[in-house]
Amino acid sequence: MTKMHFAALGLIALGAPALAAPSGTITVYTSQPQDQMAMVVEAFNKDYPDVEVEIFRTGTTELMSKLQAEFTAGSTPADVLLIADAVAMTQLKQDDRLLAHPEAPIEGIPESVIDPDRTFFGTKLITTGIVYNTGMVQAPPQGWDDLRAPDVAGSLIMPSPLYSGAATIHVGTMVQQPEFGWGYYEALADAGAVAGQGNGTVIEAVARGEKSYGIIIEYMAMNAKKDGSPVDFVWPDQGVSSITQPVAILKDSDNVEAARAFVDWQLSRAAQEQSVTQGYFPIIAGVAPPEGYPDPATLNILPLDAAALMADDQANKEQFAELFGG
Amino acid sequence: MALVACFVLVTGLWPLIRLFALALGPGETGEPLGLLRETLSGRAFGRALGNTLASSGGSVVISAALGTALALATGLLRLPGQALLGFLALSPLLIPSQIMALAWIELMGSGSAVLGALGLAPAPGSRNPLYSGAGVAWLMGIEHMPLVFIAVRARLAGLPLDLIEAARIGGAGPARILRRIVLPLTLPSVAAGSVLAFAAAVGNFGVPALLGIPGRFPVLTTLIYQRLNGFGPGVIGSVAAMALVLVALAAAALILRQLVLRWTAVPVPAGRSFTGFERGRWHWPLTAAVWAVLVALSVLPIVALATTALVPALGVPFGLGTATLRNFEAVLANPAIRRAFANSFMLAGAAGLVSAVVALPIAWLSLTARNPLARVLSWLAEPAHVVPGTVLALAMILAYLRPLPLLGVSIYSTGAILLIAYLGRFLPLALRPVEAALSASDPALDEAARIHGVPPLRRMLGIAVPAALPAMAAGALVIFMTAINELTLSALLWSAGNETIGVQIFSLQYEGNSTAAAALSVLALAAVAMLVMAADRLGRRLPPGALPWRVAQDQPGRTTSPR
Repeated sequence: MTKMHFAALGLIALGAPALAAPSGTITVYTSQPQDQMAMVVEAFNKDYPDVEVEIFRTGTTELMSKLQAEFTAGSTPADVLLIADAVAMTQLKQDDRLLAHPEAPIEGIPESVIDPDRTFFGTKLITTGIVYNTGMVQAPPQGWDDLRAPDVAGSLIMPSPLYSGAATIHVGTMVQQPEFGWGYYEALADAGAVAGQGNGTVIEAVARGEKSYGIIIEYMAMNAKKDGSPVDFVWPDQGVSSITQPVAILKDSDNVEAARAFVDWQLSRAAQEQSVTQGYFPIIAGVAPPEGYPDPATLNILPLDAAALMADDQANKEQFAELFGG
Repeated sequence: MALVACFVLVTGLWPLIRLFALALGPGETGEPLGLLRETLSGRAFGRALGNTLASSGGSVVISAALGTALALATGLLRLPGQALLGFLALSPLLIPSQIMALAWIELMGSGSAVLGALGLAPAPGSRNPLYSGAGVAWLMGIEHMPLVFIAVRARLAGLPLDLIEAARIGGAGPARILRRIVLPLTLPSVAAGSVLAFAAAVGNFGVPALLGIPGRFPVLTTLIYQRLNGFGPGVIGSVAAMALVLVALAAAALILRQLVLRWTAVPVPAGRSFTGFERGRWHWPLTAAVWAVLVALSVLPIVALATTALVPALGVPFGLGTATLRNFEAVLANPAIRRAFANSFMLAGAAGLVSAVVALPIAWLSLTARNPLARVLSWLAEPAHVVPGTVLALAMILAYLRPLPLLGVSIYSTGAILLIAYLGRFLPLALRPVEAALSASDPALDEAARIHGVPPLRRMLGIAVPAALPAMAAGALVIFMTAINELTLSALLWSAGNETIGVQIFSLQYEGNSTAAAALSVLALAAVAMLVMAADRLGRRLPPGALPWRVAQDQPGRTTSPR
């Protein structure tokens, strides 16, 4: 401890930013895969060695239930949330659970992924497209409509909004588009497409060759491909849905200082560069996307009316469950 | 006395009482038993109940057929490698159900390295056949097969030689002896073991969680888990009502078992026991068949699991060129998984140690000091062990979610709630052996000390402890081994910083990281294997029946009722 203090003093003497270094423990609730989070914490600790970060990882829907239970119990150990979608964050914001962070370093980050009240901040751009098994598919699909073909839909698996935040947004986005709507999902269901749980179950089924095609977030498919799984990924020419993996501080955090440090770090260039190595599109300008990914500027991102999606959230989940089962 | 009463109350009884009170409470409209009626008339509940009954029923057929056949073969024929065969048949007891499910998923998938090598792997594009109701039944059947196996072996060990000799003199061959003497005598044990297997299947979580959830085959335990995780604590009332149904099913099975045992109790003459038929021409084919079955059931899935742990990514075929230790490195480098190992070791160790220490005064008070209250207490420790784990976890959430009175803090989302649940769940595993040891020891010593005015505490420490120490150690060890890979309670009660090994395996699989899940499973199995070896060393100095997998090898005539 004293050594650290001396080191800090030394830094100040050398003209480093004269801020008291945050310390203590923070708990991060996240839906990002465990092995990735382990690397994130390691990199974060290079800049903030005195902050110990504990990770609680599960699907976004489950995380929200866990939080509800803990609010009932009186308090939650969570200080920071890093979850898939802005809809869940907005719900928490409306329940007055999030702490605003007006000084967050948002330079270079598009205004569209930041809450105007500065309670949550998008950290990544995650798109949903199509994965296929390269051993089983000769002619890769190009767009969403290619999935309608009976022999394709019959071997298609998709994540369920009842588990995954990304799937919630994807289904919500698709049904808002006039050219798709619920009719699209009805056609898929009629032709034999099935729903798994999270995106993990999709890559599992396609990589193992149980299914030929899957609807999935891009980094899971691209990372599996990089590791050698017989899969490849298509960004459909008809457009992709996107989520922003927002980060936020909880109001009853008992270590706000360290929580802010974590949020600030998530928005930093170092974090963005690490995201790229983990297979994510960067969110700040001037950072190149991962190898094999298109330039994010060329992506055709489907428009989303977030307010309407919030209002329809429950109905969408029920409709989906009606078509594909719980 | 008051202390141990508090212990039993806090670790299980009181939460369970609260849960049942809630389940039996009025519904939204206030009518009596309304909650139960509303929940029980729900469509999802009806489907899950039907699935639970169907898969448990199916699994019992498999458990009974396999368990009986293996017990007869290993008990009546003097097969080479007898001890190893017995151990293999009991190995499903030692392998946690989530690991067993993972291993079978790897074995039966279209990318299976093991089946692929034999040319039997399912065609690419076909779904893993285990993701179905039949898959759930098959795996639960194998997992609970040892319950039937143990029951039948125990009966065979006491088979009177006189009866068989008499039949032989009368000219009966082995087949006729089997049909007319052995089978009628062992059928009650088959029935009792099967009913126990049914109760275990109804409460099983690990198998339906890994096979039934992706297979869209909900059973009651997974429905409760999904409801609670998907909707939060608001639904605790309706899941409590479902829990009540689970308890009723398990209780009905256990009562039926008692009845079966009572109705079919046959006085068997004492004397030497039958030790098996002489070798005949069927000897070698049968030996080969038994070995083949046991290797297929107990060894191949683990081999498949290990091959998946060694491939760099899913879908990459296993081979010497592709094998890598990367998954093991990644798993061991992950701080959350390292913490899970530390947590599980600490929780399991504390549960074993505390249970053994608490078991002593309960057993001593009820048996040696003949305290009627303590006898009731010993009986009251049972419900938390017998109810399905999901039900106990639910009761814990209900009782300990809100801040504790007086203290003003909640133990929910701390390690304490896990420890309390483990203690309630596993206490009988230490209590029963300690009771057995005390009731087998000579009461005269304690009498003498009492007459000479030695105070109770000193009598307990000086006289009962030395007699019960081996049983206490065995109980603690069995608890440690059971708790180290616990999933059912942990899945509902874990929180940040309080991960357990079982939960980590489950989560990795759900993230789509099966190769890491497989690697972690292999590590967990290695830990169990080391514990078994250590316990086996110790086991030579223990009373027979103290270690579950030694039952089959222990002296004839001893019967224990494992669970």
